Amino acid sequence: MTENRLYEFLSRFVDIRPPEARVSLLLFLYLFLITFPAYIIKPVKESLLQASFSPQWYPLASLLTAVLIGFVVSWNAKLLNRLPRRLYISSTLVFFIISLFLFRLLLTFNWEGLRLIYWFWSDVFIATSVTQFWIAVNDIYNPHQAKRLVGFFVSGGILGGICGALLALILPKLIHTENLLLICPALLILTLAVVNLLYREHPEERDGPARPRERGRSKSGYLESFRVVRRSRYLVLLACSLASATIVSGVIQQQFLTITRAFFPDKDERTSFNGAFLVGLLVFSYLLNLLITTRILKKSGIKTALLIAPVFLLLGSAAVFLVPAALMLGWAVMVKGGEKSFENTLSQSVRELLYIPVPANIKYKAKTFIDMFVNKFASGLGALLILFILNVLQVGYQQLSFMAVVFAIIWIGLIRLIYGEYINIVKSDLERKWENGDTIVDEHVDVDMTRLVFDTIQSREKSSVLYAMNLFDLLRKEKLTPELKEIIACKEDELRAKSMGCLLDVGGETFYPEMEDALAEADVKAEIEEILTLDSYKKVMEDHLEKTVQDGQGESTVTRMEAAKVIGMMGPTPSAVRNLRRLLQDESAEVLTYALESAGRLRKKELVPLIIRHLGNPQMQQLAGDTLASYGVKVIGALREILQKRDENLEVRRAVPEVLFRIGTQKAADVLSTELGRGDERTESEVIEALFKLKSKETTVQFKGEKILEAALLQIKKGYQGVLEQNTPPPAADQIVMTAEVNNRLVLRIQKIFELLSLIYPLEDMVKAYQNLCVGTKKAIDYSLELMDNILNKDLKQYLFPLIEDLPVEERIRRCRRLAKGLEKLAP
Amino acid sequence: MDIRTRERGEVVIFDIQGEIRRSDISDATLHQLVKNRLDAGKRNILLNFEKVEFIDSFGVGEILASYISTQNLGGKFKLAKISKKLFLIFQVTMLTKVLEIHENEDLAFKSFFKS
Repeated sequence: MTENRLYEFLSRFVDIRPPEARVSLLLFLYLFLITFPAYIIKPVKESLLQASFSPQWYPLASLLTAVLIGFVVSWNAKLLNRLPRRLYISSTLVFFIISLFLFRLLLTFNWEGLRLIYWFWSDVFIATSVTQFWIAVNDIYNPHQAKRLVGFFVSGGILGGICGALLALILPKLIHTENLLLICPALLILTLAVVNLLYREHPEERDGPARPRERGRSKSGYLESFRVVRRSRYLVLLACSLASATIVSGVIQQQFLTITRAFFPDKDERTSFNGAFLVGLLVFSYLLNLLITTRILKKSGIKTALLIAPVFLLLGSAAVFLVPAALMLGWAVMVKGGEKSFENTLSQSVRELLYIPVPANIKYKAKTFIDMFVNKFASGLGALLILFILNVLQVGYQQLSFMAVVFAIIWIGLIRLIYGEYINIVKSDLERKWENGDTIVDEHVDVDMTRLVFDTIQSREKSSVLYAMNLFDLLRKEKLTPELKEIIACKEDELRAKSMGCLLDVGGETFYPEMEDALAEADVKAEIEEILTLDSYKKVMEDHLEKTVQDGQGESTVTRMEAAKVIGMMGPTPSAVRNLRRLLQDESAEVLTYALESAGRLRKKELVPLIIRHLGNPQMQQLAGDTLASYGVKVIGALREILQKRDENLEVRRAVPEVLFRIGTQKAADVLSTELGRGDERTESEVIEALFKLKSKETTVQFKGEKILEAALLQIKKGYQGVLEQNTPPPAADQIVMTAEVNNRLVLRIQKIFELLSLIYPLEDMVKAYQNLCVGTKKAIDYSLELMDNILNKDLKQYLFPLIEDLPVEERIRRCRRLAKGLEKLAP
Repeated sequence: MDIRTRERGEVVIFDIQGEIRRSDISDATLHQLVKNRLDAGKRNILLNFEKVEFIDSFGVGEILASYISTQNLGGKFKLAKISKKLFLIFQVTMLTKVLEIHENEDLAFKSFFKS
């Protein structure tokens, strides 16, 4: 089957991407081939134990495993750390194949001790082979991929389990129990082939253990694995959660055994019931996995998936007190069946997913330690607790449910903590790819100051008065640093060279040498400040300005520039405002520059319409925006009116959101949100950008979640329309088009969606997710999707994902078409 | 502050000496002295700052008040020999564009008679 055909075939059952098809099939086979022998080895183990020991000694077998498993974990951790992955798994499989033959040979001698050893060996086999399978999944897939595919792999495992259980049910009468073991090596040889094919597809350099040079330094072994787990809060929580689950499972197992023993006193009847239960359980698990696992993971996410089993077991265990004795078998089948079904499907899948974002250098050490040692240790601890409760406290099996309830509650509490940590780990795997340009400019460049410095330098050649006024402004703002004085002095030297004298005369203007130093004297500065407030000064200047400005264009540009500048310095007298109104209508950009600066200082309401007009002038837009922003909240009403006037100059309207962002208050945010709700496409982009920048700058500003969500859904809908518009009515597969233009528009649309989402979700998460979706590696993209999957609301992610996931074009179109109707209802 | 008044032709020259400060307010302020001369029918006023060591904003206010009074009566008002620092202050406040400032008394005197 070619790669493409295989993809087409598998995509009918599982949400898969073309490059994943071959490897996913191999992983499916891998789990099938290890679960198959596991379900032969397990019944043989129980049968041999039952044949040799009385029931009160059964828990001792679990205790034996709990005690000895530490050595296996230590040895396994060393192998895992030192061997390339393919060799590690292959050599372990070879060991199991050889030991199976050995066991078959030695079991003919009927040694009781050997049966205990076989019990321990089978526990090691099951724990090791399953752990190795999930290590392979971790090597190859990231959380987002694994979440889609895990249900598929698990179904392979359950099918293997059904096959194994059926053979264990049928064959013993024909070939004897011990001979069942001879089927297993054949299956493990096939597993060996699959593992080698799998790692040929995914070379170890990428995902294998530490490289040779690092291997020497890297510590391994049981203690190191324990330290690795202890150092990470997340891993400790995972270990505690698994331990709680194991203890609850032990209680339920004990209750099940007690009840079935009571209901089926005959050994053969009991064995038959156990076999039928196992097959029924696996079939039920298979259906559960087929119908629910992937669906829950995709739609409800990891947290819900994690909570289902403990909540079910909590309620189920508590229900034992309500069930009449005659129905107790039904209760036991339901609770034990539920526990094992969830364990075979959802719980196991999600638990494995939780390891994926853990850094590779600690993941495998921790995973083997937790899966093998912690699991068995908890099993032993649970056995001890059960022995204590039953033999010391001398209560019935029903009262054991108290223990199950307590540990289920602990388990639920741990899940809440794990989920919080999981999101943090996924986030930590994403890094910002770039900083917002505006933020960098804001942080590193004082735009107002830079403008003033340029004005100062430029004015030096135009007018000594303008130069002096600009210098004074720099001093006022305490920006005249020694470095800046040096820059300005370079220009001054050029001028000084032209003329010598006490007061220099350059081009008809008189200059005062060392002006900067003289101005910096504290008394001079103070005197100037006082003069500017004198009534006599205001009277003199008003008269002068009336003449200068009234003459208007008759006066030189420089004179009008000076007039515009001085108005800002002298304060808002009626005459100053009147003259500034005239200057704000000047034809010269240089005059307008000074007039706008002065308007920003006077902040008089009557000047606002004239300033707003300049928002439509590309040359003046930035400065007019600065001027309006300096008005603060006072100007928001006027800006709102302009923004809402559909017949207003579009360039002016488009510049308004940026001004509102710079005002940066809650009121400004509200105006922008309201405008967003009005859905004017012509200003939509600017409004969204302004809202995003506002959120980035003013963290205390609040946004109305519902409105923003609506707007985001509307953007998603427009994204869908973009994707579908070229493909309506649905074309044949080979005629599907997605032009570069459509794609570019989609990219811009996604940017807007993320900007909106950052208003109602953590900004940093949204920025990281967006940036990594744009320019991240395949892994980073999937981590972004995983993060979004875990933090977005259900509807939102359902509709957003078809736009942001890396899908084949036809699949994207198909999903958009399928979801478009539902979206229409949410964003009409 | 010490102010001596003399006349040179049709020009009234005020020779100011010392410091013009708010703290030195005397009965006859500069503005008062200028007004007296304006009331006496004089219309050409020249303030000579050759011997002025310091002038504060109050002093500038006196100069501006004198300028306004002279202007109101259609007279001419000029300054001569002001310090670098005061010139700088006048530049920053744009008063160099309003007040007529000369480097010395002679140049200022001659300027009264240029058309």
